[in-house]
Amino acid sequence: MELLITNNPLAKSMLNEKYEVIHINSDLVGVLIYCRNKIHEGHKLLTHPLSGSIKPNENPYKSVILSKKTKETDTQSVKIIEEAIITAKKFPKIHINPQYDEDYRMIDVSLVVRE
Amino acid sequence: MKLELGCIKIRDIMFADKSEIRDGILYVNAKELEQIVLEDEQISAVGFDIARPGESVRITPVKDVIQPRAKVEGGGDMFPGVVTKVATVGSGKTHVLDGAAVVTVGKIVGFQEGIIDMTGIGADYTPFSKTNNLVVDFSPKENLTAHEYEKAIRVAGLKVAYALGKLGVNHTPDETKVYEYSSIIEGSKLYPDLPRVGYVMMLQSQGLLHDTYVYGVDMKLSLTTMLSPTEVMDGAILSGNCVSACDKNTTYHHQNNPVIEDLFAEHGKTLNFAAMIITNENVFLADKERSSDWSAKLVDYLDLDGVIISQEGFGNPDTDLIMNCVKIEKTGTKTVIITDEYAGREGTSQSLADADPLADALVTAGNANQVITLPKIDRVIGTLDYTEKIAGGFAGSLEADGSITVEIQAITGATNELGFNHMSAR
Repeated sequence: MELLITNNPLAKSMLNEKYEVIHINSDLVGVLIYCRNKIHEGHKLLTHPLSGSIKPNENPYKSVILSKKTKETDTQSVKIIEEAIITAKKFPKIHINPQYDEDYRMIDVSLVVRE
Repeated sequence: MKLELGCIKIRDIMFADKSEIRDGILYVNAKELEQIVLEDEQISAVGFDIARPGESVRITPVKDVIQPRAKVEGGGDMFPGVVTKVATVGSGKTHVLDGAAVVTVGKIVGFQEGIIDMTGIGADYTPFSKTNNLVVDFSPKENLTAHEYEKAIRVAGLKVAYALGKLGVNHTPDETKVYEYSSIIEGSKLYPDLPRVGYVMMLQSQGLLHDTYVYGVDMKLSLTTMLSPTEVMDGAILSGNCVSACDKNTTYHHQNNPVIEDLFAEHGKTLNFAAMIITNENVFLADKERSSDWSAKLVDYLDLDGVIISQEGFGNPDTDLIMNCVKIEKTGTKTVIITDEYAGREGTSQSLADADPLADALVTAGNANQVITLPKIDRVIGTLDYTEKIAGGFAGSLEADGSITVEIQAITGATNELGFNHMSAR
């Protein structure tokens, strides 16, 4: 089964039949670093880690889909995740209003569901 | 394919009992427009307001900006596949209410984007401070999902623009521009010595608030394809993208795409504008590979000498941009890319989230992280409730006196990657 790495509880509840969901309690950069570690273990990126045009410091939730484990490390995935981590760290932290939690979660899920 | 754009100059918008255009003034019966909007049962209420250039008005959060247009002659009608039936547009005559725009505002989700200031320093950063704007503010029925609400607002805005556009059908235009687009073989015969240049336009297609529609088709479900640039002028490409205010393409940008405009201006003089290709910006990497493969295949098949590639948005579309650029360059076709930068507030960080040595010709539309303080404005249309939540806003953005300190990415169209800007650097 493909992996869904997420800190979004809605992604976990909506997509746990389609993916092996790994829910981690972390901020965006933490999710990306977790993905990087899995990529080095042989998982490939299936979705872009900077999905969405809502800036990385605006939406606290992030879901990334990775392939099943393969024997080799995919260099393109390594390149993309490293660039994404650099980009995500570049944005200053802003106050996230918990009032809009539901909206943040929904947008994050909509980005990794094609239809 | 030949399209005549008849421009009717609009110097003001006023509310009146009868909707009409008289002496360059667009008179609007708001009651009539309200009925059109409320045909959609998902919208419970709608308000109209007018914002003119130079007025002390701030419009936010902006969803879309649309130029009123209607077909006078030729196949199909404006906004095909969404407001009117599916039929090929891009030929015949179209009338444009030049100087007028419909601006839609509304809360779809709790965090919001898009500021248009009609005066002050902020006005310099958005092209929509120069248009007379009919602002439409929608309220949804209760319990509407965000997806339903987004669609309702998007379509209602287009319906309003179409209704206004039709007021110009029987008017004599103040100015007529003619755009003629040849077939591939015909173009080569006409201009055998000119370089064959194409335009690859990238369109946002990621999900809710990040989508683009072509003849009503959600672009993330399409492969890279081709259309005539004149079809774009007739509303074949519509924005469903409400985020990334500075570098999204509103519907107005699509209707008035300056890359198309400039390529037509040089067509037959310095180049042969041979083809327009549209491609998407999906989240799945396999889609990115497939779509950019297709862009390169089409460019190669069409035997183009050079290509301009315009991006929409930031972040993961940087990957699509570089994939398109590199794969097209490898077919032996030269590329120039148009993008914007997120280079940090000091302008010293890496500008794009991807790069390649083959991407060696680039036009930038500015640094979206640049910080600006927008002064207090007398009147706000919409609401400032979300100011700290807009892209580029941050805690403390909204001062007690009503001024806002934000990155220019909060301003609608500030770093638009079609180059639809008024500011430049030399």
